[in-house]
Order: sequence, then C-alpha cells, then structure tokens
Amino acid sequence: MPRSPRHPTRQGQLTTMTLPGLRGWVIAALVVAGLTSCRRESKVDVATREKILLLGNGGEPKALDPHIVSSVGDSNILRATFEGLVTYHPENDMLHEPGVAERWEANADFSEWRFFLRKNAKWSNGDPVTAHDFVYSFNRILHPKMAGPYASMLYFLKNGEAFNKGKIEDFSLVGVKAINDFELLCTLESPAPYFPDVVKHTTWLPVHKATIEKFGAMTDSYTEWQKPGNQVSNGAFMLTEWRINDQIKVRRNPHYWDAANVKPNGINFYPIDNNFTEEKAFRNGLIHYTYTTPENLIEGYRNQENTPLRIETYNGSYFFRCNVTRPPTDNADFRRALAYAVNREIIVKYVTRGGQQPAYGFTPPSEGGYDPPNVISYDPDKAREYLKKAGYASGAEVPEFSIIINTSEAHKSIAVAIQDMWKKTLGIEKVKIENQEWKVFQQTVLDLKYDASRAGWIGDYVDPNTFLSMWTTGDSNNNTGWSNSDYDRLMKESALISETAKRYEKMAEAEAILLVQVPVLPLYWYTRVYLLHPDVKNWHPLLLDNHPYKHIDLKPAEEEAK
Amino acid sequence: MPADSQTAPATIEKGTSLGRDAWFRLRKNHLAMASLWFFVVVVLLCFFLPLVPGIPDPNVTHPDLQSMAAFSKATSMEGQEVSYLLGSDHLGRDIFSRMLYGGRISLAVGFLATFVSLTIGVIYGAVSGFIGGRLDSVMMRIVDILYALPFMIIVIILTTYFGNQLWLLFVCIGAVEWLTMSRIVRGQVRSLKGQEFIEAARSLGLTNWRIIFRHLIPNTVGPVIIYTTLTVPAVMRLEAILSFLGLGVQPPDASWGSLIKEGADRMASDPGLLVYPAIIFGMTLFSLNFLGDGLRDALDPKSSKD
Repeated sequence: MPRSPRHPTRQGQLTTMTLPGLRGWVIAALVVAGLTSCRRESKVDVATREKILLLGNGGEPKALDPHIVSSVGDSNILRATFEGLVTYHPENDMLHEPGVAERWEANADFSEWRFFLRKNAKWSNGDPVTAHDFVYSFNRILHPKMAGPYASMLYFLKNGEAFNKGKIEDFSLVGVKAINDFELLCTLESPAPYFPDVVKHTTWLPVHKATIEKFGAMTDSYTEWQKPGNQVSNGAFMLTEWRINDQIKVRRNPHYWDAANVKPNGINFYPIDNNFTEEKAFRNGLIHYTYTTPENLIEGYRNQENTPLRIETYNGSYFFRCNVTRPPTDNADFRRALAYAVNREIIVKYVTRGGQQPAYGFTPPSEGGYDPPNVISYDPDKAREYLKKAGYASGAEVPEFSIIINTSEAHKSIAVAIQDMWKKTLGIEKVKIENQEWKVFQQTVLDLKYDASRAGWIGDYVDPNTFLSMWTTGDSNNNTGWSNSDYDRLMKESALISETAKRYEKMAEAEAILLVQVPVLPLYWYTRVYLLHPDVKNWHPLLLDNHPYKHIDLKPAEEEAK
Repeated sequence: MPADSQTAPATIEKGTSLGRDAWFRLRKNHLAMASLWFFVVVVLLCFFLPLVPGIPDPNVTHPDLQSMAAFSKATSMEGQEVSYLLGSDHLGRDIFSRMLYGGRISLAVGFLATFVSLTIGVIYGAVSGFIGGRLDSVMMRIVDILYALPFMIIVIILTTYFGNQLWLLFVCIGAVEWLTMSRIVRGQVRSLKGQEFIEAARSLGLTNWRIIFRHLIPNTVGPVIIYTTLTVPAVMRLEAILSFLGLGVQPPDASWGSLIKEGADRMASDPGLLVYPAIIFGMTLFSLNFLGDGLRDALDPKSSKD
C-alpha cells in the first residue's frame, strides 16, 4: 500500500505542529534564493564575457543538412555553419555581402550568372571550397532520389525542374557548370535580376562531398554526416554539440576565410517550443534572444523603459492550409465559407497582439512595389451563402474535421479563436484541434494526412515569387494537393518577363486565382516580435530576419554606459 | 405461533451491521465528514450546475473581452452582454464555466479510471490469492513486471500512436492503477481463505468462482473501499500531469489539469487563470485523501488504534 499513509491524520496536530516549522523553512529558502540571485552572475553575463551568443530557436531541428531542412529555425543554424556564394547583409536585405564568391556578374538579360570564388575559402577540415563543391551540392538537392522538400528553390537553374522530376537524367544538362576550380557559371531557366538574393538561401549552400560520401551515398538523407564531429562545413562556425531538445552548439571555424572578422566565439541554439518557457528563460538571464514572445506579455514589455522588446515588419504570411484531396475541404465553396467567416481584425488585435496586419491576400504588402490583390474579406453573410452552395443546409451537417497545429500556445489560441468563429458564423460544431510536435507535424503536412493545418511562410528573398511559386502544381512546398492549370501558366509566363512592373501584374493575376480557389486561408501578415538582450550589438531589423551572425557583437551593456 | 412471534423480538437486542458501525465511526471524524460534504458539493456542482440556463458555454470566445476581472460585466462587440463570475481568460472565455466543465472531465477520468482499476484489480487479486500455488506466483510476477514499466513513457507512446483521445486516457490510467489494488486484495484473500467459513463453503461443494465472488470478495470490501478513495485523487493527479504535458484533453475542451497548465503559462499577466483551478483541484484532492483516511479508521478500527 504505497500511497496510503500509515497514521491517521488528527485534527489540530497538523496545524499546530508543522506550520511554524514550515514557515521557518520558507523564509530561510527565500533568503537563500534572494542572496544567491543578487550575487551570482547570470548565464547571459558569462556568455557575453565569453562572447557566446545564446539564441532561442523555436523547435527541435528536423535535420542539420541544407538539402533537407525547410523551416526557419533549422536554417538559422545552417546559416551559422555554412556559407553560400552570396550572404546576407547585416543591415539591409536588398544589399549583398560577398560570401564564397568574391564577385559576380550577369549577362545583359540576367539569365546567365558568373560567380568568381575566393581562393582562400576553406572547409572546416582545411580543404579548399571550389566551384565543383557547388555543382555537387546542386546535383544533390535536385536529385529525384534525394526528394529534398525545398528542391524547387533551384528550379531557377535551367532544366533544374526537369532533372528534379526525373524528366532528364543527365545532370550536365542542368544550368550549372564549374568553368574551373574558382569560377561557377549558372544558366537560368528565365531571367532573374534578383538572382543574387536567391542564392543566399539555405538550399544553395554547399556541402562537403568527401564527408557526405563517407557516411552514405550522395542521395542518402539523415545519415551520420550531420552529427557533430562528422559534419564538415564552410561557414564562420562549425557544429560541436547537438543534444536533442536541449541545445545545439556551434563554435568558431578556424579555417573560415574571414575568421579574423568573426565577432562571436560561438552560438548556442536552444530549441524551446513553448514561448512562455522561452520568455522565462530570457527573464532569468538564460538566453540573449527569444524566437517569439507570448502575446499577453507584449503590453507589459512595451511599457518598460529600455525595453528588450522588438517589433519589426517581417516578410511572412500566416495561414491555414486546406487539404484539397479529401472531404470536406476538397470543396472550394466550403473553403470559401471558412475563409469568409474569419474575422482577421479580431485575431491580430486580441489574439496575436504584436502589431500584425490582417491578411486579405497571400503575399505580404512589403514586397517592393507589388500590390497583392485583396479578394477575401470578413463577410459572415457571404460565408453562410458559400456554405449553402457547398451543399450544407447548416453548419451542423458539416462532417467532423480537424485543424492540426504544431505545439505552441500561440498557435493554439489562434486555432481556438478561429474554431469558435466558424461555430458562431457558420454553426460548424465538430472541429477538432490536434497538436503535434514540430517534426511530426511537418511530416503529417507533407503526407497530406490532415484537413486543415496551421502554416506560416517566410519569404526567402524580397520578391512576390517566393510566396507564389510554391502553389504551382507539385511544388514541394505546396502540400495541399491543389493544382490549377491557369495558375501554373500565369506563373510560368511571369517568370519569362524581365520588366518588373509587368511581371508583378501577371503574378497578381495568378494570386487572384489562388484567393478565389482558397486552398489556403490567409490570416495575417507577420511581424517579428522578440526580446533581445541589450548586450547584443549590431543586430539590425531585417525584413527577412536572416541575421549574418559573424557581424553580431556582444558587449556588456552596463560597461558601455560607463 | 402468532403469540411466539410477538414476544421474541422484545427480548433480543437489535444488532447493528458492519456498515452502520463504520458510518457511526466516520461521523465522529469531522475532517472526513467535512471532506465528504465538500466532495459531494463539488461533484454536484460540476455535473449539474452546467445544466442551469445562464451558465455560459465554456468554449465561446469573446476575444475583445479578454482578461476581465472577477465579478465583471461587459458588452462584447457582437452586442452580447456577458458577465464573468471569476473573470475571463485570454480569449474571453468564462473561467468559472470552464472550471465546471473541466471538473466534469477530471472527475469523470477519476471515477472511470478508478472503476476500471477496481474491476481488474479485485478480480485478478482474488483469483491469484485464492487459487495460490504456481498460478499465484506467475500472476504476481506479471504484476511485478508491469510495475517496473515506466508509466509516463507508455502513455506517451500510446497517445502518439492512437492520437489524443479521451477514452485512451481512461484505459491507460485504469490499466496501470490496478496493480496495487490486486496486491491488496490478494493479501486479504490469502488470510481469509484459511478460515472456517471458506472450509464450510468448500465442504458444501461450491465452485471456486462462487466462493471467490460470494464469500471472499465481500469480505475484502473494507480495504478496497479505502484504497479506492485514495486511487481517485491519484488518478486525477495523473490526468492533470498528462494534460500539463499536453497529452490529455484536446483544446478547446479543458480539464483541471489543462486549465492549470494554461494558467501557469499566463500567470504573470492573469494570475486568476492559475489560482482558481489550482485551488479547486487542490481542495478536491485533499478532501478525497482525508475521506480515505477517515474511511480507513472507520472500516478497520483495529489498525487505527495502533
């Protein structure tokens, strides 16, 4: 009988005997806690002194292989350990920083790009980084056997798509060529004046051929090569420790060509998927930076003096994917009913509370001159009308379906609010909310085993193409089963136009189709809401939020004040 | 004959049953009685108060009326007048009504899972103890093995495999909690089976099943009742732990455990979200434990005199 106490409790005994003792202990504990917290320097102070950046990073990464990952948190880590041809500028998304390529030039119509690689770029084992490494990497991600979820980023290359889909088997027909060890020629499918922006992306990072092939074939994913100790990378940092659901440590890469100018000695990434836990970690001096901020604390932080809170425009869109391959979400009228029944003003004002903008289109408004068509609105009457058209006399007839979310209080609140809006305006009773852990969630969405799923898309470069190309038929980030030949045609036509205004017009036309068919329900346009420790210097607001870590400096804030 | 039957009862003192004796002893234990009444009131409130018109739906959101104070009244942007007895949460849902509905789930899990564990445990223990011999050792080794399995990991695996479903919670918890019960019943049965009334039953030619169900199990009822009252809070606490880990009930539904979790996350801005469910949950657990202690004293007076 382990759980039943041996002696009966007698009244009075408990109160008279234990309370004074208990009180004494509590006071003693508080005094001890108070003393220690005053005296001891926090983890952040130590890290600042040692120049180690401690970053909250959302969920546990799916992989640390640039050809497998597709989420923002994962690519944050890869941006520290690998370096592409061109890299991000610390202050301005529109500017380019030379990476492995020292300089680059394009032909007159921007369809052929030549990258001249620096001769001192090295892998973390000392091998030189050559143009052949890039050709090998592009071959790897585009290989049909690799099934890279983000391979479509390389469809910019001539025949890239055909090779990826298995229509041609010879990789030498794909538009990338190493002229010699230090000159890379990229021939594009269609003109792209913004190509240097594109190659900054994670998918264009090089991988080390000898390491990959030491642990498996070229196209094997999730092999041992991505483990600390095995991974050879060419970025400012290299992977030294990866403890699942605990932390990922990267430290200075001594062979990095610009090692002298790398400011931090290392970075620790913490996969904390509960934003409340993360905020507590920040408040207790455990991390320099939070990935997100709980919405109920935004107001409090905003009113603080010298607040660590940052709210910045972010190039991203928050939406629900609908699985169009199975009922009830296969019915376009039903999806329209769902889309028109959501009051987005309420969501951004009361649920997310971080200055987000309600989304009535898919592409965010910050895409340099692109004017997204706003088709969807909040219109309960229209929503009910569409529900009737979908064949349901009332919401009660709608069969049970579920919204899946990845584990996060913020996503849960949004899902619950929307579920209730559907109930109030349409009378839909049976909507389940299921939460899944981030890795599982990504797989479920990929396998189309859902009805509606929470999703966010962050632009990979500043151009509406990054938001719209994913909805073409069979794109590896489509994940809704949606396919529309007019949409595909318009997107293809837009790619061939080099004049920006005209290209945008075509894309707007395509986006209008997307919004009429609503395989996705746009909800709001992101803002970056995060907490940043004052010790962190050179951290500038960026539309894409891809901070090049080598420029970020750490100095104790108090010292500076003196 | 009529004359006999009239005179006989006058001379024989009327006996009291075991149950009545226990009830008298329990009544003298004020803490246990207070706990009993408290528990009955909580159960009645949770199961019947939501039927009263005017208690708001626990899942209706009014995002514009978020984090309202207790005893407040407001008009939502939809023009609906809403009054909050214990305030509202971050989506404008009524905390009081969420606690009532949450209590339904927590209590239902407590009762049903205990019932499952009671049924399995009593039968398993009685059979094992009565038959004895090799079967007894095999059955008890199985219990030992099951004891050694880490419960949390089993539940996590089951929930990821079958998805988060409420019935799974009942089954999982019930299937694990019967182990101790079966040991208690086995011990009782082993000491009872050597006694004369069992010999008598045997000599009358009763089947084993009949002896177990008619003669042995009724005699183990004291320890079983005591242990049951202590199992209910243990099970409720397990459910709370699971909900706290996000494996219990699914949103928007709530149990006390999940309410406490939500409250713990938001305690910096809305302490009420944590305080109210934690108080009611804590008091319910206390009352069940006190009641269990009181029942033990009442049903087994020998042990309380030690």
